[in-house]
Amino acid sequence: MRRRDFIKKAGLATAGAFTVPYILPSGRLFAASGIRKVNHVVFCMFAGGVRNMESVDKGLGNIMPHMLLGSESVPLDIAAAIAGSPLPNLNLGYNLQSKGTLFKDFRYKKGPTGHFNGHTTAITGAYTTADLNIKDHPHTPTIFELYRKHNSPAQTARKCWWVSNTLGPYPALNFSSYGGYGAQYGANFIAPTYMFSNQGYNSIGTLKTFTSAEEAAVNNMRTFMNHNFNKSFVDGDAGITNTELDAAELQTWIDGMFSQYQGGAFNDPWGAGAAMNNDMRNIFFAEKIIDQFTPELLVVNMQDVDVAHFNFTDYAVNLHKADFAVAHLWNKIQSTPGMMDDTVMIIAPEHGRNTTGNSNIDQNGRAALDHTAPFDENFSGDQMAREIFCQVLGPATVVNQGIEIVAPVGQSIGESIDISSAIANLLGFENQIPSDILMDFNNTGIQQAFL
Amino acid sequence: MKKLNLFFAVVLLAGIISSCKKEYVYEVKDVKVTQPGGAKDNVKTTTEFISIVYSDLFNNNIPTDTLLYVQQSYDAFGDKKLIEDRIVRHFLNSPAVQIPADATMRANIPLFVDETIQKFFNRKPDAFENYFISDIISNSTNITPMMVYYACMTSNEYRYY
Repeated sequence: MRRRDFIKKAGLATAGAFTVPYILPSGRLFAASGIRKVNHVVFCMFAGGVRNMESVDKGLGNIMPHMLLGSESVPLDIAAAIAGSPLPNLNLGYNLQSKGTLFKDFRYKKGPTGHFNGHTTAITGAYTTADLNIKDHPHTPTIFELYRKHNSPAQTARKCWWVSNTLGPYPALNFSSYGGYGAQYGANFIAPTYMFSNQGYNSIGTLKTFTSAEEAAVNNMRTFMNHNFNKSFVDGDAGITNTELDAAELQTWIDGMFSQYQGGAFNDPWGAGAAMNNDMRNIFFAEKIIDQFTPELLVVNMQDVDVAHFNFTDYAVNLHKADFAVAHLWNKIQSTPGMMDDTVMIIAPEHGRNTTGNSNIDQNGRAALDHTAPFDENFSGDQMAREIFCQVLGPATVVNQGIEIVAPVGQSIGESIDISSAIANLLGFENQIPSDILMDFNNTGIQQAFL
Repeated sequence: MKKLNLFFAVVLLAGIISSCKKEYVYEVKDVKVTQPGGAKDNVKTTTEFISIVYSDLFNNNIPTDTLLYVQQSYDAFGDKKLIEDRIVRHFLNSPAVQIPADATMRANIPLFVDETIQKFFNRKPDAFENYFISDIISNSTNITPMMVYYACMTSNEYRYY
């Protein structure tokens, strides 16, 4: 072969090796920089403040029969309250505990035992040891930004969602103010129970439509105006910005959701009637997001158990409903092509509740519960508000099945900040994250859930 | 002494040369070039944005409960540009919206552009702006006043004051 031909062919072969993508069995175009264990992670914050005493320790019997094995009897007053708000039968055919690992002595170790602090810690993998300004974005990167910045290949916000049951400070959790991260790597945030409501429909539900030619003319004028003005309303002030293509899909999806809402499809979607509470609705909408976007990272929360501040019996009933909602979500994942058998779901409260009740006594004579463990982690008094559980579900090739992890008395295994490290590890981008941002997965307690 | 004479000679020569330099005076008034709306540095708050959209389209103050519900919808989604587009198009869809008729616009297009820019951007359009937008309108009978309003209300400048 002549030298010139050789160089030419060698050059073409090398260029081909770089440009021809390799389609992996999972359908991904390029191999991720780390080794993925699964392609989807769902983090369900079983939030609102849940004591281990009523949940995994079954002090009221097993009022979470989908998530926990066992048929311990429930006190008559609580059983009657639960029966008064009946839920349909899911017919799962299995218990979630058999599909993963249950940590019974997880901890929210540091920081105020407040809902927003707890959410911030779980979403950033960093404790907030001071009071937070609830108007601020977190000061350390969220798991959404870590995923969108470090995952390879990079994904748009279409694949990354934060679904909150309420507004207040929670919309701010979709990105941080940390240098080098921020809105450009943020998650799509939605509070669907506000959006897909009568008020939402009457505010943004019926839109003036334009033909594509009219849209093009409007774009022409808008582009001219924007070129004439020296500032942009973009990332940060404008929240996150979806790509043009994703924004069009989102608009169509929102239109479709309003159409279903108007058609009555959301009136009683699970056949639960009046038992359908805000937590269940939020999970229902998260499932709609799964249907449309099959997200790689989805964080969704529930907080109705926080009624415990005022009524203990209602707290127990809402725990029972949250258990149902989690099982419904897992069932959805396991019946969604692309996510089935390729998803790990992590379930954990943001914090617990106090040992002793407050002065609110309910109809059954039970005292309501606050969550006020002091900031000082070395405080020797009531620290029950720091005691939480964590359940990890996933394929048997990834997650240890049917395991219960209990720490020696007075100790803990696993903590809130482990969850972000686990998500980064599962999605294969942990090694790309600067070491000062997230705890090393190998030093976490939650790693015991994985093979 | 010789050195001193030489120095004076050089200075004299330099003076003659510089005095021969002709100075041109064009007699054109200095113009400071600025971008339209360049003095606007502040982003409107969400409440301001929603209230102003409403009053610009309905010539009325927004009712308190409407403001509350629109604000909630605004807060309930993370992509603010997307949701602002929905808010504007939702209001534009109302039969109560106050927009000039097509015939009014076409009767005097430059005047319509002048008044529209003044209404939404709180300033006069410059000559090129007026020409460009007027040209788009006059070249197509499909352009409606609503489309011009929509373009203005979803532009970057509308988000600033």
